[in-house]
Formats: sequence, structure tokens, C-alpha cells
Amino acid sequence: MSSDSTVSAGGAMKRNRRMKLPAPNALVGSTLIAILLAAAGTGALWTPYDPLKLSFREKLVAPSALHWLGTDEFGRDVLSRLMAGAATSVWISILTVTLAVVMGTAIGLVSGYLRGWADRVIMAFNDALLAFPGILLALGLLAVLGANKYGIIVALGIAYTPSVARVVRGTVLSLREREFIAASRVMGNGEGFTMLRHILPNCIAPLTVLATSMFGYVLLAESALSFLGLGVPPPAPTWGNMLAGSRPYIDQAAWLGIFPGLAISLTLLGINLLGDALRDRLDPRMRGAR
Amino acid sequence: MFRFALTRIGMALPTLLIVAVSVFVLIRLIPGDPAQLMLGDLATPASLADLRARLGLDQSLPVQFGIWFGNVLTGDFGQSISSQQAVLPLILQRFAVSAQIVLVAVFLASLFAVPAGVVAAWKQDSALDIGLVGAATLLLSIPTFWLGLLLLLFFGLKLGWLPVVGYVSIADDWKAGLLYLVMPILTLFLHEMGVILRMARASTLEVLRLDYITHARAKGLSESAVLWRHAFKNAFGPTWTLIGLVLGNLLGGIAVVETVFTIPGLGRLLVDAIFARDYPVIQGCMLFVAFTYVLVNLVIDLCYPIFDPRVAAQ
Amino acid sequence: MNRLLVSAFALGLSAGALHAQTLTAVLNADIRSTNPGVNRDGNTDAVVMHMVEGLVGYAEDGSVGPLLAEKLEISPDGKTYTFHLRKGVKFHNGATMTSADVLWSWNRYMDPKTDWRCLSDFDGRNGLKVVSATAPDADSFVMQIDKPNGLFLDSLARADCGGTAVLHKDSVKADGSWDKPIGTGPFMLGEWKRGQSVQLLAFDGYVSPKGDRRDGYIGSKRPLVKEARFMVIPDAATVKAGLLAGSLDMALMPESDVPDLKNAANVALAIAPNPVRHSLIIQTRDPLMQNQALRQAIAAAIDFPELVANVSNGLGKPNNSPVYMTSKYYGEVEKQGFTYDPAKARELLQKAGYKGEKITILANKRSSVPSFNTAVIAQAMMQAVGINAEIEVLEWATQLDRYNKGNYQMQAFSYSARFDPALGFEQISGPKDKQPRKIWEDPEALALIDKSMVETDPAERQKIFDALHKRFIEQVPSIFTHNDLDIIAHNKRVTGVTPWASQLRVWEVSVAK
Repeated sequence: MSSDSTVSAGGAMKRNRRMKLPAPNALVGSTLIAILLAAAGTGALWTPYDPLKLSFREKLVAPSALHWLGTDEFGRDVLSRLMAGAATSVWISILTVTLAVVMGTAIGLVSGYLRGWADRVIMAFNDALLAFPGILLALGLLAVLGANKYGIIVALGIAYTPSVARVVRGTVLSLREREFIAASRVMGNGEGFTMLRHILPNCIAPLTVLATSMFGYVLLAESALSFLGLGVPPPAPTWGNMLAGSRPYIDQAAWLGIFPGLAISLTLLGINLLGDALRDRLDPRMRGAR
Repeated sequence: MFRFALTRIGMALPTLLIVAVSVFVLIRLIPGDPAQLMLGDLATPASLADLRARLGLDQSLPVQFGIWFGNVLTGDFGQSISSQQAVLPLILQRFAVSAQIVLVAVFLASLFAVPAGVVAAWKQDSALDIGLVGAATLLLSIPTFWLGLLLLLFFGLKLGWLPVVGYVSIADDWKAGLLYLVMPILTLFLHEMGVILRMARASTLEVLRLDYITHARAKGLSESAVLWRHAFKNAFGPTWTLIGLVLGNLLGGIAVVETVFTIPGLGRLLVDAIFARDYPVIQGCMLFVAFTYVLVNLVIDLCYPIFDPRVAAQ
Repeated sequence: MNRLLVSAFALGLSAGALHAQTLTAVLNADIRSTNPGVNRDGNTDAVVMHMVEGLVGYAEDGSVGPLLAEKLEISPDGKTYTFHLRKGVKFHNGATMTSADVLWSWNRYMDPKTDWRCLSDFDGRNGLKVVSATAPDADSFVMQIDKPNGLFLDSLARADCGGTAVLHKDSVKADGSWDKPIGTGPFMLGEWKRGQSVQLLAFDGYVSPKGDRRDGYIGSKRPLVKEARFMVIPDAATVKAGLLAGSLDMALMPESDVPDLKNAANVALAIAPNPVRHSLIIQTRDPLMQNQALRQAIAAAIDFPELVANVSNGLGKPNNSPVYMTSKYYGEVEKQGFTYDPAKARELLQKAGYKGEKITILANKRSSVPSFNTAVIAQAMMQAVGINAEIEVLEWATQLDRYNKGNYQMQAFSYSARFDPALGFEQISGPKDKQPRKIWEDPEALALIDKSMVETDPAERQKIFDALHKRFIEQVPSIFTHNDLDIIAHNKRVTGVTPWASQLRVWEVSVAK
């Protein structure tokens, strides 16, 4: 026990170098994500049945050879809808995270660099946005923008921008006073150039970690919004609205609720594990002992 | 300390004002208004005009805001358009319901998860650590509404031990009331265990790297003394902050759990009010939630010095 | 069903002691207020109409008959209505009703401060204006309107107007604000626990209108139970469990629960259609949808028996007529609706010059209406003949806004009940410039509708409605699919239950011991 937990500088460093194998969480995480992306990719192009095709004769059929995951109340194949839903959810999440990262980075850079009262004002608005519980902000924005794919991307993108802004601003603040920034200025480089060339690259590591976990939050948020009735509207399938639609049939057709939930959980698990592994590699504070 | 609190409250006021204005404007941008919704397809232009005048919706936006905000400052949050109940008492009553569930769940979760997280950090990379982290990650990856549905399926439908839908207030009948609270609390508890364990572990790990731990060991303190006297106390600080964040977020995000279990809490009040375009309730709720969030964070910040003497010394 | 019994058990704990003289009914949402015709919705009307009565009321077949009035005289020029009041009718506080009370109530409704929903229907802004209201003696009340109007009495009888109820002035407090309803109805207000239940107590001094059986809001209305408690239970699963466990006596249920309830030993079902009309409305001013051949094609592409069977769990019957099925004006002509003919639909599409343009159907997912399911099935059927139909799901408030502004191509929409077919036609017709929410603006149709509002001879009115129906089916300004169903599930020990107009009526209902 004691050797494991002994915090001695030399021993820990050696232990790190010896750990060439990827961590178990990275392995499991990447596998799960790979399955998700494969399902999403396939789902965008092909599914065993048409996810939107109604079939009155095959309503609420339990999982069987013909329909591996059963059918829903309209006779639509659950597996096909799950795959198509994967494609939609992944696409929405990627776009949302991109939007949040772009907007948040811009705000964070500007705010952190300007400091002074401009920074205070921007951060006041930022914090106001943060004080809105994400789902509720999205609800309000969605009702204005319209509950469709693009509305959700914008609404959730806005909802998650403040977190990104905070992280980027934090990085900017901590790097501002470092030598290489001063050196850059001394060399005659403009403020903007300095920011982009020197500060931005240093944001990438924390941003990557944040983006990974945000991907998970957005997936979850989209599902939760659908559950509340304001997500991507049916009949187009998303995991969230499939889960929501399963509620009235919970005692007759439990499979309608189990599979979408399982899909969301496994995907989130993969994202979280991968995020952990990334953080372990990239976050200097986590990297072993000194 | 007092000055610190005052400054923090002062800094929070602009945030609250921004929230108030944004909500006010945002919900009026949404298509559909409460008058239309109340009259439904029986509305005629004349009856709509009458109802809008009665609800004060025919005045200009700044005037409406001025009236509303002015009343808020005197403690009058107006009346719900749907039920004509006074908004603030309604919010407080629903908040009590949500708070019961959230506070109990988070308290219980912290009770188990914080020590577990500290131990996991202490035995980093051991089988115990990996097991705990794996379980925690699994728990927090499961969406709360799905977890709730599963519990409902199992304990409610299959086993029949617990009620499937509905709500009875503990104030009215504590035995039945308790039954209704078990599953929502359990759902949140499981989820938060995952979240808090990881946070506790992460902050403990950070602390364990610090100089003064090495120093304490060098002084000859036993491992467990190091662990509990120093590491735990200091790791708890950031965890405590994050618990505050969790609480703040939960108060809003609990809407889904309340929907699954049909609990009349604050989350559902807000969601229902948005669907019903009940402006006074929406405005009141959002303001209240933002205020609670700010308050919780303030309390967290004030308690921070208890855990980290270095902060107090500043 | 064991699994849901626990919730029913808990329900029993909270419902309190149940004895045979208490009837436990269910509302799916709390009532909004007890002030008739001011802040209301369907549930509110259902409860409030147990406590108050107006001069006239609806009969079961949708016609209007005297209620607090015993006899009614209309002057030859159609502008003066003389109501001879029933004698000996008591208010809940023991006072006897006289014309002074009627006058007081009327003046209160016409006072803008009361916020009576229907004020604009009587002060001239919607066409009808009550010029004067007087009480020449204790037993008569005279109202004068500016122009003859065949639907004046209908408007007085409307439940959403509170039935223009006659109230005792003690219903309001000294400062004029609302207290509680002191009316003449068979029940009095007991305890209202907000969000939980509303209690009605039988009024022992109730004087029922003459009649040996129920007839809408008129007819016999005796309170046969001492107490009726309306429990507020939004979730249908809990209601089902309560019915099966015997802790709930009476509730309106959705079609999807019928199979389970049919087999229950202690539960009986009473099912009847109501005047609510479900439809796929079309915006005839839309550049694409203004093409009549296209609209006819859509009507021909839909297999209505299949669609209606699917959205109503096999219980509903298709009805393409703007006249509802249980109206006394629904006859052989009205039974002729659209014919399902996909081949014809394709022909019509050709004729219309349809080139595959997108048609968007708006729908919402409220559980109380078949909107979403109707849209999904209609879409599939339209696509089967080559129409490029898409569905856009909105939340109800947004969809309602689009309806009011006329901003849509098609919508799966439901119309609230209107008892008189003339009002039913008026609800959907009018000049769209002034009233963008209307769906039919054919000038000849509008003229016929105006005629039907003034005409009083039922035979003549039937002819007008027949003509309107035929025009509607020919032009397809919109498509009606079916009428809604009232399904009341009740404990077998409860007798006298008849579904009507989506309201639970607990008068003339008894609970066997």
C-alpha cells in the first residue's frame, strides 16, 4: 500500500513513463464511442427498415427475429429509429458544441484580454446566462426559435457558451502575464496577433477536455428537452423523443423505453470515460505526481 | 467577512437584473400569449382585446416591465394568469417540494460519495479506485429521467412496492407522502453519487500533490492522519463549491425528474407555465431560481474559509 | 393490475372516508375559479354549472330551452324577449329568486369590471347588442336586442359564458370582488382545496325544472347524492388504478384505456359522441392550397374509417360533415362525406397541376387531442398518392397562434363544442381579411349562414344546413375527420350516468350502498 501511495517525485515519474499501455478508461470509452459513430454513420445512410414507415398491423411487437428491438405504437422498427436517431443526435451535438466553442472562445478571449470594466460587464452577462438553468434557457429560446434541429443547436449552443467563455477567459488571464506574451509584444506583434498566435493554442487542451464533456451534456440536454416535449419534434426519431414517447406504453411495451435509454447511457459512459482519459493526458494538474 | 458577503451580494444584483429583463423580453417574443391560450378556439377579436386589457398586456413593454419589477421590489410577484393564485407563495410552496427531494438526495449522496472519493484518490489506480470510478461514471452517465423510468418500471409496476404516479404532500399525510418521495430521491441520489464521488476524488488528488502533504509526511505524521486531518479537509473545499453548483443546477434541471414521477415541484411549475404562457409565473420562477443560485453560491463561498484556512487568512 | 393498486391504495388514504352518499369524480386539472364565465376552461364549466343556472339552458340535443324561465315570449319583430320566471326557486342562501336578482346579475355581467368573457357578444362588438334589460315585475324579465337574431338564446345558454347564470348578490363581497357562487343549482360549493379537490354539497332546497328525466342542463336535475367530490388527478394511469380499486367512482377516460376497463368487474363504461369536431384544416389563401382540385385530391386520398379507427382506438366513427353527429340536424344528407379513392386522388392531382411541392401539416402533442396521430396517418396516406406532406410539431400555444393568424398550410386541429350547427358554421366561416382564423370565406356560404342565424323554423334551417354541407364537401375548404367521444368509466354501483358534452354531471346520479 505504501509504495503505491508514496508521493515521491522520482518514483512517480518513472511510473508514468513505464505506463505505455492506454488507460482502461480510454479503451472502453473509445470502443463505445466508436460503436456510436458507426451506428450514426450507418444510420445516416441505411437502416434495416424505414424509420418513418407506419405499419398498423405490426403495432407494439416485442423484439423478435423480424424486428430485433421490436416496433413502436405506429409499427415502426425500433432498431432503425435508434440508428437514425443516433445520426441526428450526433449531428446536433457536434454542431452545438462547435457553436458553443466558437462563441465562447471569442467572448472569453476578448473579455480576458480587455480586463477592466469591459471584462466585468461581459462577465456579468455571462454569469447571468450561467445562472439560468440550461434546460430552462433552452426551453425559452426554443419556443422563440421553433423546436426543430436548428433551433435546438442555437438554443443549446447559447446555453453552453458561458462555460466555454469562462474556461477560455481563465486561461487567458493566467497566461497574460507570462514571459512569452511580453516577449511577443516586445517583438512588435500586435495584441490580436499575440492572442491568436500564443494564447489560443494554449486554450486547446482545456477546451478539448471541456468539449468532450459538453458533447455528453448536449446529448443529454437534447434528450431531456425531447422528454419534456420541446426537443426535435417527431416523427423524426431522436433518442430523447423515443424515450419520451415510450412513457404511455411503459407497461405494455417496456422495450420502447429500455433501448433508447440504454443507447444514451452507453454513449454518455463512453464520452465520460474518453473525457477522463483525455483529461489525464492533457491536464497538467492531473498528470501523476511531481 | 461581512464586507465580503455584502460585496458579493452587490455583485450579484446586476446579474439578477439582467435575468429579470431577459426573461421578461424573451417570453414575450415567444409566439402565442396567455389571453389567446385561455380563450382557445372560442376567441373573437373583441374578447381577446378585453382579456388582454384585463391582464395588462395591452400596455407597452417598458411600462409592463416597470409595473412588474416595481411590484417585485415590494415583494409582490403578481398573480398567476391560469389560477390567479399569488405567485410568490405558489413558488415557495412548490420549491419546498423540490427542495425536499434535492436536499435529501444531495445530502445522502455526499455522505457516501465524499469519503468514497477521498479513499479512491488515496488509493489511486488500485482496483478499488478503478472500481469506484467506473461505478461512479456509470451512474452519472445514466440520464436521470431514464433511471427514474427504470425505477418506476421495477419498483412501481413489477414489484408494486411504490406508487407509480401522483403525489401526496408530507404535510397532509406523512406516511403516504414518504412513499411518493422515495423514488425521485433515489433517482437523484444515485446520479449525484456518481457526480460527487468523482469531484471529491479529483480535488483530493489535487491536494495530495501539494507541498504541505509531503511536508506533513516528512514531519512523521501517519498516513491516516495526513489523509483525514489535511487532505480531506482541504479537498472538501472545492468539492463543497461544486456541490453548490450542483444544487443550483439541480433546482432547474429537476423538471425532468418531476415530470417522470408527476411531482408538483418547482421545475414542473416552470415548464407548465411556459407551455401556458403564464407570464407572471415564468418571470417569478426564473428570478427565484437565479436568486437561489446566487444565494447558494454565496453561502458556499462564505463557508469556504472553514475548509481552507489559507482563504480565510486573505 | 396489482402493481398499480398501491397507488390506488395511497389514493384511498388521501381521499378520506368514502361512504355511499359521497360520489368521487375526477377532473384532469384543477378548476380555474368559481366565478361563472370569467376565468374558465372545460373543467371549470363542468363544476360551476352544478351550482348555477341561467334563464335558459341547452337540452341534450343541442337546442335551447327554458331553465329558470318557465315560459318565453318573443315579439313578432324578434327584438323583444320576455322571460316569465319560475316561481319559488331558491338560492343556496334560502332567498327566493325574483327578477331583481336577474337584473342585478345581468348588470353585473355587462359591467366591464366583472370581466365577463362574453361581454363582447352582447354589447354590439360581435354583432348582437342588448339594448335594454328590465324587470317590469317580480316574475318577468324583458330583454331587447337591436336586430332579430336566431341565436340570442344560444349565446345566453353557453357554458363558457357561465350560462349567464342568475346569482344572488351575496356572491360578491362588499367591495364588489368575487366571493363564492350563490346560485340556484342543485349543488353548493363546499371546500375547494386548490390543486387537490373541489367539494360540492347537495342543496336540499333545490327546485328542479320539470321533467322526469335528464335533458342537458334543463330537465330533471335532482341531487341524489349528499356530496360530490371532484378530485384533481392529471395522470390517466392513476385514475385508471383508482377506478379499478373502487376508490374513484366516475371519470372521463381516453380511448386507449377502454380495453383494460371493459374487462374490469366493477367498472362500467358509458360512451357517446360529443359536438367537438376533429379536423385537418386548410388555409385556402395559401398559394398552393387555394387549388380546389388539390384539396379534393387530399380528401380522396384519406381512408377515413382507417384513420379514425386508429386515432380513436376503434371507438370513433368518421364524420366529414361540419354538423356534429348527435345534433338533431344531422340527417341523411350530412352522412354523405368524402369517398376514399386513391386513383381519383391521383387524377385530381394531375388536374391540379401538382408538381410535388411540399405541404406542411402542423400538429401538437397534447394527450387530450388526436392531433399528432391524425397528422402522422394523414401524412402517410397523402404520401401514398404522391403528395409531399411533412409534419411540423409545435407546442399548443404556438400552434394556436398560427391558427389565429391564419399562418399555415394545413393543421390537425380540434374545434370546441358548439351546440347549434349555425354557430358551428359561424365558428369556421367568415371574411379572412377581418378574421384570419376562419377557414371558409365562400360568399354564398356566408350568406346561407347568416340566414340560418335568423331563421327559426327547424325545417327551413335543416334545408340551409343541408345546402351548406353539400357545398362544404364539394369545395373542401377543410376536412373534418370525426367527432370526439365522451367515455365515462364509472363504478357499477353508480347509476344514472350519461355522457354529454364532455362534462361529468352528478345530478340525477345515485350511488347504491
